[in-house]
Parts: sequence; C-alpha cells; structure tokens
Amino acid sequence: MATTQQVLLSPAELAYLHASLSLTPPIRPDGRAPNLFRPLVAETGILPGTNGSARICFADGTEAIVGVKAEVEKTRGADATEGGEDAEEDNNREGRSEWVELTVEIPGLRDDDSGTAFLSAMLQEALLADGGFARKLWINRRYHWKLYLDILLISPPLSYPLPLLSLTTHLALLATRLPRLKSEGDEDPFFDDDWAAAPYLYPRDKKSSKALARPPVTLLVMAVGRNIIFDPAKEELAVADVALAVSVGEAAETDDDKGKGKGRKLRLLSIRTIDPPSRLTPPGVPNASNAAYGAAGATQKQPEARMAEAEVVEGVWRAPRGGAKPLVMAALVQKALERGGVADEVLDALDGVDLG
Amino acid sequence: MPITINAPSARPNQNPFSDSDSDSESNSPSGGGGPLSDPDGDTSMLPPAANPTTTSSKSPIVTPGEVITSDPQWMRGHGTYLPPHTTSITSSVAGTLTRTNKLLSIRPLRARYTPEVGDLIVGRIVEVQAKRWRVDVGATQLASLPLSAINLPGGILRKRTETDELQIRSFFAEGDLLIAEVQQLFQDGGAVLHTRSLKYGKLRNGVFVAVSGMGGGGGVVRSRRQVWTLEAANGGGLVDVVLGVNGYVWISKHVEMPEAEKGPGAGITNLEESVSATMYSSQNDRIGVETMREIARLRGVVTALVENGLRVDEEMVMKGYHEAVEMSMMAGEGQEDIYLGGERGSQLAAVLTVA
Repeated sequence: MATTQQVLLSPAELAYLHASLSLTPPIRPDGRAPNLFRPLVAETGILPGTNGSARICFADGTEAIVGVKAEVEKTRGADATEGGEDAEEDNNREGRSEWVELTVEIPGLRDDDSGTAFLSAMLQEALLADGGFARKLWINRRYHWKLYLDILLISPPLSYPLPLLSLTTHLALLATRLPRLKSEGDEDPFFDDDWAAAPYLYPRDKKSSKALARPPVTLLVMAVGRNIIFDPAKEELAVADVALAVSVGEAAETDDDKGKGKGRKLRLLSIRTIDPPSRLTPPGVPNASNAAYGAAGATQKQPEARMAEAEVVEGVWRAPRGGAKPLVMAALVQKALERGGVADEVLDALDGVDLG
Repeated sequence: MPITINAPSARPNQNPFSDSDSDSESNSPSGGGGPLSDPDGDTSMLPPAANPTTTSSKSPIVTPGEVITSDPQWMRGHGTYLPPHTTSITSSVAGTLTRTNKLLSIRPLRARYTPEVGDLIVGRIVEVQAKRWRVDVGATQLASLPLSAINLPGGILRKRTETDELQIRSFFAEGDLLIAEVQQLFQDGGAVLHTRSLKYGKLRNGVFVAVSGMGGGGGVVRSRRQVWTLEAANGGGLVDVVLGVNGYVWISKHVEMPEAEKGPGAGITNLEESVSATMYSSQNDRIGVETMREIARLRGVVTALVENGLRVDEEMVMKGYHEAVEMSMMAGEGQEDIYLGGERGSQLAAVLTVA
C-alpha cells in the first residue's frame, strides 16, 4: 500500500545516503545511533475540554496533539428486559471495536487520503488488537462509552509521522479519565460529577501513580542492507530497503518469565509493511551512459534512452527491487521486541512523562 | 538510552498552553504590560484597558492583526499596516517588535527567502519544462533556470541546439540539486538563475540540509563567503560547505579538478572543457568512512545552530565544528560519536555563545 508521500531527492543524494547507512555501524545523516530516537518534548493534559490529551513535539518543529473524548452511548442490540444474574458480570463484558473512533488529520492531506486512512487504521488496529481495550469502555449491559480519538499533526509532515502519532496517542490514553460511575447494574448510568474522583482509563498504582497496564506503541523500523534503523527521518526512509510498523504491547508476566533479566515482557500486536518511497525514486545515471557527461557529450547526436536495467555501478543510485527478505523482516521484529530492547526503553521513557 | 523525552521547557513566554486552571508556577509574574512597555517607563503607549489581548499576553511576540499602538506619535515600519480609516498601527506578521527611535517594525519569526540579484543559492529542480527548469529555492515562488543560462557540456561557450532541448533531462532532472546565482528578478519577486560559472552546477558526493532562511535570529545570513573548503578532523580529508543564502545547505566531499585532463595542452582556454566533463554527473565518487562521518558531524553542527537560534555562517560553523570535535573527544564513545541533537546541541550552542 502506498503510504508515504514521494520525496524529491537527487540520485546523487540517495546514493550517498544509502552508502552511509549501509556502513557498519551506519552513519545516519543526523549522527544518531541506529536505535536512537529523536529527542522529544512531551506533556499531557493540555486540552481542558477533553477526557485526556497529550502533545509531543520534535526539535525540528514537528508537533502532534491528541485529544480523547468520551460519550455515553446506548449499546446496539442490547436487550433491556434481560437482567437479573450479575454473578459472572465481569466475564460477560464484551467490547466492540466500533466503540472506538479514531481520526487522523494531517495538514495538506485530505481526510480520505490513502496515507491518512492507512495511518488511522494502523493505530486503531494496534489499539484494539489485544481485545482488552474496548472492554474497558463497557458500562453496563445497555450502555457503553464511545471513545473519540482525534489525532492531529499540527506541523506539515516533515517525516513519516507514524511513531510520533503513536507515542502521542499512547500518552493521551494514559492521561484519559472517565467519570466515576455511581449507578449500579443495568439502570441508566449516572456519574459522579467530581472530576477529581474520576478513575483513569488505564488504572494506576496508588502509590507510584504509574500505570499498571499501558496502551500499545507503534514503532517505525527500517532496514538498509543489514542495518536496522529505528525512527527514521524522511531522507533515511527514502533509501530504505524495507520499512515496518511494529505495534508492541505489554504482556502479562507469567511465573516462568520471572528472573529472565530486566525489562518487561512484550507482545507483538501487529505488523504492517510500509511501502518505502525509495521504490519510486528515479535511478541515477552512471557516467558511462550519461549523455551530458564528458567532452563528447555534445557530439552525441542520438542520445540513447536511459538504460532501463544497468548493472550496479558504485556511487549510482538504484531503487531497491523485489520483496523484503524474510530473514531481514525477522531480524527487524526481533530487534523491536527484545527484552530490554528499544520498545522496552521507549515504554520506560514514556513512563517518565509526568501525567499530571 | 535510545529515547529521551523531556518536559516542555519552563520558559514562561514559550508556553502557549498554560491555561488558568493548570497550576503552572513556573510562569513568571507578568512583567508589566504589553509588548511595548518601555523599559524606562516614561511612555506607555498602551493604555491597559484599551487592548486586553495584548496586555494579558506575557510574550513579546505579536501576531497578525494585533494592534500595536494607536498613538499617532509612532511611525509604521516593515511588518505593520494601518487598517483603513484608523490610525492604529497593526501587525501584519507574527514576530517580535523592534523599535528604532519612533519607527515600529516587526521582525517575522519565520519568513521565506526573498531573492536578490547576485545571491548564491542552492536549489532543487522540481519541474522540467521545454526550455527551462523550475527550481525550488525556498522562496514564495519557484525560480526559473533557462536552458540558455547553463554551461553546456563540450567546452567552449556554444549555442544551444535542438539536441540540447531534447535531452534537457540529461543536464538536470527532477530532484537534482544545484548551486546557482540569482541573475535577474521579475516584478513579482520571482527569480531567474544562472549557472554560467565553473563554481556552479549540479551537486553530488554529499548531504543536503534545509534551514530556515531568515528571521528569528537563526538561519543562514548573507556574508562575505558562502562557500568554503575545510580540512576535516580525524582524517576526514577536504570537505566543501555551501551555505545557500536561501537557507539550503550542502555539505560534500571536496573533489579536485581532474588532474589527468590538466596535462599538456590543457590551458586556461580549455579548462572549462575538462571541468564541464563532470558537471552533469550524478554518480558519486568513492567516499571514505571518515569523510562521511565528518560530513555528518558538520550537518549536525548546522542543525544544532539552527535549533538553538544561532546564525549560520562560516565563522559559526567552523567554531561549532571544532567544538563538536573537541566534545566528541571528551565524550566516552570517542570520535566516532557524532550525534549532536537534543542536549548536546544546546551544550554546543552554549559554548559558542559564551566564546
């Protein structure tokens, strides 16, 4: 699926970027280590009219805000006459994916642009993948919360905004609170109007006020040659061989996981391949077949059409062809999911954000 | 640690989201009135009741449509206008207010590049037309580069032919970067470029970085020298830096003129011939790891300068580069560590502003 907009880079630039990213260790244009993310500035609770909100911005000015609004809605198809036994109520709680509505807005792109639709589908998929999220919105048999997630990129998309939007959504959901329910059973819901008493959507530890469970994060991982690179900038993505969006959630620790080293146990929720813009880039012209190269350039009266399939010449850009190698894909996922690896540290860092 | 997440900086005038119920103690007490409060306090141009929006905002930034003053003693300068039938000076851009005696002008926070004849610029081809290219130079309009304004390959300044027109994409195609000079301006501010010099032409062997052209203190400023070659540290060899006046920066490996063709018979007359041979090449030379590393370091210096609101010119880039090399020596990872983002960038900027 075409998801990334075309970037305009010259073949010489692409060749240089590809060469420097293929080195071991790779040299990224901004000097970051392969697994280093761009520094972020994050805050939550910025929008007073929402149930939860967050803002994240990069140093280059890319900025996203997310607002979460909740509404009480009558559950469709719920039988009002049914009732009585509340014994297994908790087990009967069933969430539906349509209780969550997620919209992404990116300036300069239409709402129904395929890229935007793909982004929102990807974020929604990760959120609903574990099935536990929609269950949190259950009020009683007849009513449920409908959650509206509005994800806005404020700045023009200087790089593929998926990780930024995912991290912002993560923080906004962590900060989301729903009014405390006062009514009981299946009667019409009635809420406590004391906002201070409102519980968090993701329950927290009383003492440390750290969230006990957390929403998923989606990471953008790409590979150039044998190098695996996290959080690629636009020009890095432009030379990627493969790019993957890996959604990772926290898994419950079982007993035999204890003592397996530090870090949390992670669960893979979804993987999507991102079509890197590198495949659409024009190839470079080797000097040998360049009509404007050399003193003979002018005398060449019949310029050959650009050679469609030239052999690989060093220093000449050639768009990657063919699919991703399974081994590379496996390595990408492996690297993201490692215990104490990148996803783990990202969750740790998100833990450190003051949720206000 | 692969990721750092900071809280928003506590600078009081940079927090647009501080609302009344969020208990932000960091906000400094309002420092006396609006943007025009005189430091010496003799003339208050703004009666506090007259303009509540201005007086309540603690930042010295004015926004378009904001009334700066209605006192007729002030003259309006750049970035301001007088709405019809009034005498109140109103801002037309978002920026900071500057006063020169009785002249009020607004320096925009961010502005696009305004071309001037003779500017050395780095541009990117976005469109190829029948007899000219359209070049993105970061201005409000695309600049144009006519086919007649480039050095055609094959040496001597020859007339362009139909063949040249047909193979226009072999000189510059979409996406190609070039270094050029503004030759002429149209009435509407559009620029016409030329590359009729051996110094100009297609760019290769390096990386590109776009920084904001003007305004806000940071960015590339017009200076004596926009292009220079430096000897990179750690065995990086010679590196060229091109600071386009339009805020587009190119950092690349320095390529000597082809020696072989400078042999006997090559004089000043056919110097052009030997140079123009490589002029339209889009094939990179072999570049060493050390050179790539130093190029990335230089790019980091430029972005760090911009992110911290410092000007980008030869002096600052060179000072910043030497400082960055020193910093990497001190740091644990040694000279291979070239990352200059986030905290290190501000460290670097702090050193540069002190020195």
